[in-house]
Amino acid sequence: MSELHSVVCVKVVPKSEEIRVDPERMVLVRNDVRSEINPPDMNALEMALSLKDRYGGLVSILSMGPPSFVPFLQVGAAMGADFVYLLSDRDFAGADTLATTYTLAKGIQKLGEVNLVFCGEESADGATGQVPAGLAEWLDMGQLSMLSDIDIDEENSSARGRREIGGGYEIVEVGMPCVVSVHTACNEPRFMDYSRKSQAFDDESVTIWNADDTEADPKLIGIRGSPTVVSGLAEAAVRERRREFIDGSPEEIAAQVSEILRQILF
Amino acid sequence: MVETNHVQLDDELWERINALTDGAAAVCFQCGECTAVCPWGLVREGALNVRSMMRQAQLGIKSWEDDLWLCSSCAQCEAYCPRAVDIADVFRALRGISWQERTVEPGLPSMLWSMYWNENPWSQPPSQRFSWAKDLEVPIFDPQRHEAALYVGCTASYDRRVQRVAAALVRVLGSCGAKFGCLGDREPCCGEPVKSVGHNPYFEEVVHSSARVFREMGVQKLVTISPHCYDVFKNDYPEVLGGGFIETVHYTQYLSELIHHGQLDLTPGVLNGEIKEGIGKQLREMVEVTFQDPCYLGRSNGEYAAPRYVLGALPGMVLLEMEDKEVDGLCCGGGGGRMWLETPPGERFADLRVQQAADTGASILATACPFCLVCLEDSLKAAGDLDMRVLDVAEIVWKSMEDNFE
Amino acid sequence: MVLSIYNAASAADTIWVYLEHDSGVLEGVSLELLSKGRQLADQMGWKLAGVLLGEDIDELADTAKAFGADEIWLGMHPLLEPFTIKAYTKVLYEAVIQGKPSVLLIGATPNGRDLAGRLAVRLRTGLNADCTGLEIERESGVLVSEVSGFGGGVLALIEMGLHRPQMATVRPGVFEALQANNTRNGVVIEIPISLEYEEINTKVLEKVTGEGVDISQAQVLLAGGRGVEGDFGMLTELADLLPGAEVGATRPPVDEGFIERDRQVGQTGVVCSPRVAVCCGISGAFHFIVGVEKADIVIAVNSDPEAEIFQHADYCILGDVSEILPKITACLRTSMEAAGV
Repeated sequence: MSELHSVVCVKVVPKSEEIRVDPERMVLVRNDVRSEINPPDMNALEMALSLKDRYGGLVSILSMGPPSFVPFLQVGAAMGADFVYLLSDRDFAGADTLATTYTLAKGIQKLGEVNLVFCGEESADGATGQVPAGLAEWLDMGQLSMLSDIDIDEENSSARGRREIGGGYEIVEVGMPCVVSVHTACNEPRFMDYSRKSQAFDDESVTIWNADDTEADPKLIGIRGSPTVVSGLAEAAVRERRREFIDGSPEEIAAQVSEILRQILF
Repeated sequence: MVETNHVQLDDELWERINALTDGAAAVCFQCGECTAVCPWGLVREGALNVRSMMRQAQLGIKSWEDDLWLCSSCAQCEAYCPRAVDIADVFRALRGISWQERTVEPGLPSMLWSMYWNENPWSQPPSQRFSWAKDLEVPIFDPQRHEAALYVGCTASYDRRVQRVAAALVRVLGSCGAKFGCLGDREPCCGEPVKSVGHNPYFEEVVHSSARVFREMGVQKLVTISPHCYDVFKNDYPEVLGGGFIETVHYTQYLSELIHHGQLDLTPGVLNGEIKEGIGKQLREMVEVTFQDPCYLGRSNGEYAAPRYVLGALPGMVLLEMEDKEVDGLCCGGGGGRMWLETPPGERFADLRVQQAADTGASILATACPFCLVCLEDSLKAAGDLDMRVLDVAEIVWKSMEDNFE
Repeated sequence: MVLSIYNAASAADTIWVYLEHDSGVLEGVSLELLSKGRQLADQMGWKLAGVLLGEDIDELADTAKAFGADEIWLGMHPLLEPFTIKAYTKVLYEAVIQGKPSVLLIGATPNGRDLAGRLAVRLRTGLNADCTGLEIERESGVLVSEVSGFGGGVLALIEMGLHRPQMATVRPGVFEALQANNTRNGVVIEIPISLEYEEINTKVLEKVTGEGVDISQAQVLLAGGRGVEGDFGMLTELADLLPGAEVGATRPPVDEGFIERDRQVGQTGVVCSPRVAVCCGISGAFHFIVGVEKADIVIAVNSDPEAEIFQHADYCILGDVSEILPKITACLRTSMEAAGV
């Protein structure tokens, strides 16, 4: 195996607590909303960078979005990523996961030899958790999902990961190249490396590709490539705690709490 | 045969430390006074070998390991150092090297990410920074009308216990017509948490961006709740910005001024200059209070008088001093980034301090720092059987004005 | 426009449910989806089918029938044990192409999500993930899925007009499983399978359940503070009754050695996001709260009316933990036994 090359798919998401919905126009109101790198993608970046610490090689970041994503992706470069690519084109807009995974796959195909594709297991906004599996399908790669830990076997060109499943874990091995989805909060992302920072935030550090650059089939990107449509959108009730006191004798309280638990859990 | 103990000197490391600290460790002549007075010696068998750290810094030896993160930057050592070594600076420089080599304590990178994405070290939503004020009448800072901006700070903004201090202070200031306002959710973080864990480059970025916000908002004077914010505004901002920075006072100093000029009248039964019927009980029973000098107000900035002046102005307050007081005041353990690190039980300075406070016989342990408040209250609860409570000076003033110490 | 492999015009009037199983038992979520599928099928006058893949699982077909499946599409092959993504995607794909269901429901379990995500791409169809509600429009046969995003702050309705199958994943516990009806009948349809070892590419080297203490994934968190006075047995008894429950603690009881540090919840401990957090004898200091603030529901029991925890709870109980908690456990146990759970 030549140099290990990992790609990390990164999404920039708005801060959930700031999002508002315009129910008339059925759109999200995003003005003045602060954004951040999708937290599970930070864990994915950390996992890829840790592998690079151990085995050397390169880490590329790939994202799909508007040019405003650039300063966020540059953070990833400051953390240690060697290359940053942003797929940006108006025609990519309005994509659901089918179109998104297709577009990302086309981007990955342009990156030359890739051994591992890392993704956070879900995103803080849509939280579908489908991107890793969808990507693996488009790229015809195996997948390791919900990993909290990974190791590679360079000789056999395989990757082995610890997969957290409810009440236990599995150790799974898959041949490379493969897609890896990273379990949220499984590691502590390293802070930016200040010896890389000014270079990372340089204008030239992010390569932007449009739809033509990716050679994507126009029918499969953006709205055209999205089978699903949103037919309704609303803000859920604001999440303040209820602060409701339950009164009565201990027996009465116990009965009420027991009922609450049953309703939520069973 | 004599066995020699070879030590690797790293010239490059020495140069880096020298540059980061401006040669601070050079003047140390290894007397060991620092190790002797460091509060870690009170809670640990082996103490914290501060002298050895200085030696390592002098020579460029890296064997400090985890001890590096024990320092709460209380500066007790600096108070006794005969050579005036900037010991806390040296610790921070060594921590800076740990950041470069990625050997920092777990939990600290997350705190810096919180600063980066949320503009506060507590991983709280930035849009909710001013939510503590939503049911209160808190003036919004207007440079035309207000002489000072009340700088609430991240801990008082987000920690529910400390929010009560902000609320009390705002009421006290409001009651006497002080011309102040708050910056709302645009209030930037002062950056002290970043400084405290030794990430100097990022700290400087925060300083620049926060100073820009104050400039844009037309702030000419800052009144802080936390001595940590006070310390960086007063001492670090001018240096990093290369020139001056706006006037900064701690709120106990601000209250002192208001009391001294007669604007804040703490006579019993008087509120907003009006006599309150029914409140005018003559001096109620004497309330005995003892005061925790926050390291960053007292020892680091020499301000011991202002909080005592404020407490002394309250009718019925009797100030009792703890055994270790003023320049020897025992640190609560929260400084130096330790609010984001776990301190094992049995090693907490605050446990000793609440005992000292109880030994005075006082019923109130007064604080003037959010970290002291949180750490001391935690220790008080753990002690379980002490007949005392912890209150911030602002809370004590407000309760006194309302004549309500329930 | 992207086109699915087959469209609405050629889809059969069937709802399919992927049946996940482990250790010889159908997963709870699969029974829940069969129940929901049965309801939807009855509304539309459609058929309900279950898809069952594995080795030596024919007995499970009977369970599926009892929960409402009119048809069981059964695929058995040695290479289908254990679950591997490529093998299952291939076989399920071939079955779906053959049966052309209008709707395909899959439980949003770790394996289910992978399977659904992969299959949806292979079928070039849409997939609504983690749905909290499902309805089918009478005239059009369109599945309308309710999903939430932005940490639960936004609710959306999603549908697809022409693409088939209309796929949706649903988390365990969203729908209720009906009672089994052993008199129900159903048809077993065998899926022809050709699989080679080389196609699988995945090896499960080790599988461990029930080891180590990791409370971060707890579905139910029972946290005890100073107020439980070291009696964590009280909490463990309740935890034993509740699925996915873990016992946690604040710093003081951990410090005093009543419980392991792995179970400490909070700023310098573990941050949890359970469906329910029950905070017992906990005052609610900030550094603890950050460990439970993501819980869907917080229930707090404390004897101090001023306790800060009540500001952070949905249901507040002012009382003695040692009195209230065992009563809750007893009450719950009784009602669970009555319901045959």
